[in-house]
Amino acid sequence: MTGPSDKGASLRVVDVAVEFSGLRALDGVSLTLSPGEIVGLIGPNGSGKTTLINAITGQVPLAGGQVVLGDRPLSGLAPRDIALLGLSRSFQIVRLFNNMTVIENVEAGALAHGHGLRKARAKAEALLDEFGLSARADDLGGNLSYGDKRRVEIARALASDPAFLMLDEPAAGMNEAETETLLHKLSALPASRGLGLLIIDHDMGLIMRLCDRLHVLAFGRTIAEGKAADIRKDPAVIQAYLGSEAGIGAAHA
Amino acid sequence: MTRHLLTAAILGGFVILLVACAEMLGIRVFDRIATNLCISLILVLGLQVFMGNSGILSFAHIGFMGVGAYTSAVLTIPLQMKGMALPELYLVFKGVQLSPYLAIPIAGLVAAAVAAALSYPLMRLSDAAAVITSFALLVVLHTVMTNWSNVTNGPRTLFGVPRATDLTLAAGVAIAALLGALAFKESRTGRLLRASRDDEVAAGALGLHIPHLRWRAFVLAALFAGIGGALWGHFITSFSPNAFYLRETFVILGMLVIGGANTVTGAVVGTFIVTGAFEGLRSLEGSLNSAKIFSEQVIGLTEVVLALAMIAVLILRPGGLFPSREIGAIIVRALSKRERST
Repeated sequence: MTGPSDKGASLRVVDVAVEFSGLRALDGVSLTLSPGEIVGLIGPNGSGKTTLINAITGQVPLAGGQVVLGDRPLSGLAPRDIALLGLSRSFQIVRLFNNMTVIENVEAGALAHGHGLRKARAKAEALLDEFGLSARADDLGGNLSYGDKRRVEIARALASDPAFLMLDEPAAGMNEAETETLLHKLSALPASRGLGLLIIDHDMGLIMRLCDRLHVLAFGRTIAEGKAADIRKDPAVIQAYLGSEAGIGAAHA
Repeated sequence: MTRHLLTAAILGGFVILLVACAEMLGIRVFDRIATNLCISLILVLGLQVFMGNSGILSFAHIGFMGVGAYTSAVLTIPLQMKGMALPELYLVFKGVQLSPYLAIPIAGLVAAAVAAALSYPLMRLSDAAAVITSFALLVVLHTVMTNWSNVTNGPRTLFGVPRATDLTLAAGVAIAALLGALAFKESRTGRLLRASRDDEVAAGALGLHIPHLRWRAFVLAALFAGIGGALWGHFITSFSPNAFYLRETFVILGMLVIGGANTVTGAVVGTFIVTGAFEGLRSLEGSLNSAKIFSEQVIGLTEVVLALAMIAVLILRPGGLFPSREIGAIIVRALSKRERST
């Protein structure tokens, strides 16, 4: 029950399709995430980014294709079983435990993976310290600012020592300084914890600087993937993403 | 840790203070009220264990109080009275007469066992579906109690249950229940269950087995209810299945909702306030009736006020008087804040 069974294995999404009452939200998407790398998932609104994370973590059923961890198929498992195999996530709309204190929120992540109360407390304290939340430890989750909620959610996801972390717009609602701090925290994670990071965000500056590789979705299909620098120049991406030549370069500047 | 001990000390102090007052006053009526309050407290704490930590409203709780009361009654009614009290009793139980002090814990375990068997499949349900099935479970338990004449004497009153519960015993068990509820809330299961209460999707994504966590709390709650029911049976000494139905359900639920279901502090405060208000209203009713101010008898004042108080709390303070923090945590926080500001 504790941690992933095969550390070092890659997470592979193979030809995945998701349907919502006949509408194809994802169609033949394939993606690989290896430990130690950061992959950015971008695309216009409604392109299926969040749906892809939901499909990987078991929140929505697949209409086709499969998700594989190492050589273990994840498709069809319940979200909790997938979580126990080492896949952690945050949510686009923050989902904290609002009537519990910040430290209890983070502890829950560790407790869920079989740690005892004392170990969970120590882990939570270390994580709160790392994310600059120690002063908030005793506040209720529901009383935090939006940016703080995001950070607590990331800390909670990390408390379970995940092999793969999927963050859905972690910088939304943060100001520039907070985003900058978060960027440094996130960029250090793969090296310090050996995890693979999949990240969705609309802040192109953040994405371009943070990610080793990018994966671009539009209308549920992959339209481009590769190094950030190449993606920025890709005409299909510029066309789909902003519909103009100014494109991603402008957003980055 | 300090804050949990402080909470336990303050809330336990309430109960001890109550016992001390009752002993000093030495009035029979007050002694009866205090004993009833302690028994209600055990039941409310049991409901808090499940409802407060899982966030699921359970109507079935009082049904398990009935299971406890009847179990203890069957085991303790004196041999010479069994023929009269339970004419259709199974042969196996005809020769059984245990001490009430042994039968009370057994009653708790039987209620817990019944709950464990019945509830496991129900714990997958959430929200409205879970509430409706818990109500159905109460109706099923009530129907069984009114019809299983062999052990309950049917809908008729069962008498001859030996009197064994006094204020000290009830208060002692209430304090144990208090510590049990606090310990459960801070245990690994309690914490994870509270996480699932606040956000089921996020809890699932962390890897929690929510039905299993709920089930543990439900069984523990039934243990409290069974013991509370047995204590009540040995206090009142004769009762019928109607004692374990809607009226009692709403009183216990009202106490918890008014105090605040999420906290043990809320459960204790709610029990004290509602019991106090009930007794006050009852004596007001009595004096109104004896003074003959109105041409008709005044009845049902307690129910009306409880209903209004519940509505008022749900509108003005949906989480109850103590919605999220225990009294110990509130005090420790206030003290450290003052320290920081000076």
